[in-house]
Amino acid sequence: MSFPHQAGESSMPLLTLFVTGTAPRSQRARVNLAQMLNRIGRSDIQPYEIDLLEQPGQGITHSVFATPSLVKANETGEVSVLYGDLSDEERLSHFLADLARSG
Amino acid sequence: MNETNTPLQKHETGIAGLDHATQGGLPAGQATLILGQAAAGKTVLGLQVLARAIERGEGGVFVTFEESPGQVKRDALSFDWGASLLESNRWQLIDARPRLGVEVAGEFDIEGLLSIVAAAIAQTDASWVVFDGIDQLLQYQPNPRVAIDQIRQINEHCEDRGWTMLLTGKATGDSMAPAHLEGIEFLLSATLVLSARIVNQQLNRTLRIAKFRGSGHVTSELPMVIDAEGIQLPYHEALPSGGVLTRNERLSTGIERLDSLLGGGIYRGSSLLISGRPGTAKSTLAGSFAQAAAQRGERTLYVSFDELEGSYVRNLISVGIDLRAPIEAGLIYFLSLSAFASQVSEHFLALRRALDAFSPDCLVIDPISALLKAGAVEGANMATERLIDLARRRGITTVLTSLSGVQDPEGEATQGQVSTLADSWIVLDYNVRAGERNRSLSIVKSRGTAHSNQQRELVLSPSGVTLADVYEHGTEVLMGTARKARKIEEQEEEHRRERKRQQRRTEIEQRLAQVDQERQRLTSELEQEIVDSTETDYQEGVYREQIKQQRAPLGESSALHGDDDAHNDKGDPQ
Repeated sequence: MSFPHQAGESSMPLLTLFVTGTAPRSQRARVNLAQMLNRIGRSDIQPYEIDLLEQPGQGITHSVFATPSLVKANETGEVSVLYGDLSDEERLSHFLADLARSG
Repeated sequence: MNETNTPLQKHETGIAGLDHATQGGLPAGQATLILGQAAAGKTVLGLQVLARAIERGEGGVFVTFEESPGQVKRDALSFDWGASLLESNRWQLIDARPRLGVEVAGEFDIEGLLSIVAAAIAQTDASWVVFDGIDQLLQYQPNPRVAIDQIRQINEHCEDRGWTMLLTGKATGDSMAPAHLEGIEFLLSATLVLSARIVNQQLNRTLRIAKFRGSGHVTSELPMVIDAEGIQLPYHEALPSGGVLTRNERLSTGIERLDSLLGGGIYRGSSLLISGRPGTAKSTLAGSFAQAAAQRGERTLYVSFDELEGSYVRNLISVGIDLRAPIEAGLIYFLSLSAFASQVSEHFLALRRALDAFSPDCLVIDPISALLKAGAVEGANMATERLIDLARRRGITTVLTSLSGVQDPEGEATQGQVSTLADSWIVLDYNVRAGERNRSLSIVKSRGTAHSNQQRELVLSPSGVTLADVYEHGTEVLMGTARKARKIEEQEEEHRRERKRQQRRTEIEQRLAQVDQERQRLTSELEQEIVDSTETDYQEGVYREQIKQQRAPLGESSALHGDDDAHNDKGDPQ
């Protein structure tokens, strides 16, 4: 009845951005995320992108039904999710705080 | 879409009462809002619609935004259609609960969700989609306006793709929309409101079709039952229409004299209400009717509220009514229900199922007034009305008993509508007089029948039930010993009168005889008188002659005449 799990969450990339094609909010999220990573000195991180229009099964696998959504997986496999177009800079920077390179 | 060219299509839900109340189902290719508070039955409704769709060979997708998939499955398994639903591969259950601790940094879209659902629909060839608790996702939308737009988006998506969707949401207070989603009721063409209220310590479920654009529908709150078969709207399933001929056949009540008072019995397919205070022999009459039906070889569904079969049957044996044999022969199906245990609508459902299962010729409910004790009392009249209607449409002859208050033997207040609906109405009562209670029976109404307006005495004995003519005494009606005593008195009185009359006749005859004797005596006296006077006249004549002869030479003289007045005028010489 439900889609089989295709991938365990532990094998997730550090950052995954779920989008739907070229929807305006998805576009904004890409831009906002790139800017924030740059600001915190982590432009080295290349977020993995999943387009639910093309891979709907991935939404079920990762329990992501709102787009755009930013999913962060740390080394222990713990996953946190941030909904929205990431226009709330304060929330976004707080969400990414542990990735920031101090200095 | 060109709506003027697209008449409203409906998609049947497979819930008979809902399909009937909506005149065919919910809008096809659109989203219907299902509102209700927690535990009002929203999830059950969604699951049941899917289960029924799958039974018809359709498919479905259930997207849960609030309950875990395990909980949804447990919900389904508590109904008798649940197991086959869970086994079916014609549907998908999608766990779309937002992750715990999710944060929000801006507005989001639901195209991803719709894309996921579209993929699932493609796999299952689904026609129904349930979004159970989408408010749980959309509440994260920072701007409520965006959330509302997304409901519109979902609905338009349904129209474009031909999905028929149930969109459930938690009702908040009297609002017609879930929190954060105010106004969505205006966007969607149909809204169902489920409610579960506590009335008299009992849960009272209702379903209301708050909105159904472009379609006729029942607008009132419909009593709803959730039992092993899931959601039922017991009063709103399509009834067999027409087809039942009005028959002139009369059915015996099992009491010969009562039949004759009713003009031969009660009409087949009609309903008879027997009301009375406790102990007025309502059950006896009902039992008599069922026994008579069994003797004709007919089947009776016998429903007893609050009395068990064993004691009920035993009690009737004491008045010469044997239900044991017909029960064992399968002619009487005895159903004992506990009035308090369920809601009125649940009782109604149980009765309707029993009618379906047993398809009887006759129905006895003793007493129907027990429904007033059940939960959701305000539904008792409706249940009774529906029941009478249902029985009538199926051509079932119905006998209902009703307990009336001690102060009010005809008990209009407690009878509710029953007495108006029933074709015939017999009121039982007792008269207390001379230290005893005697049962009385009177026919208050009997449609289509010339019936006696006389009150009768109902006499119970181990050999059966009979009616006795009551004794009218002036403006009073006498029964029992008073009736017997009065009868004996009257007989004595009659004898006395007869004796008196005889005596009087004898007296008159005696007087007549006396008078006759007197007459004879007088006649003979008269005769004697005549004889006497003739003799006297003769003697007088002789005497006068003698005097004349003596006097003639001396001249006339009356001196010796004793009768002076006769002769004075002749000139007395003195």
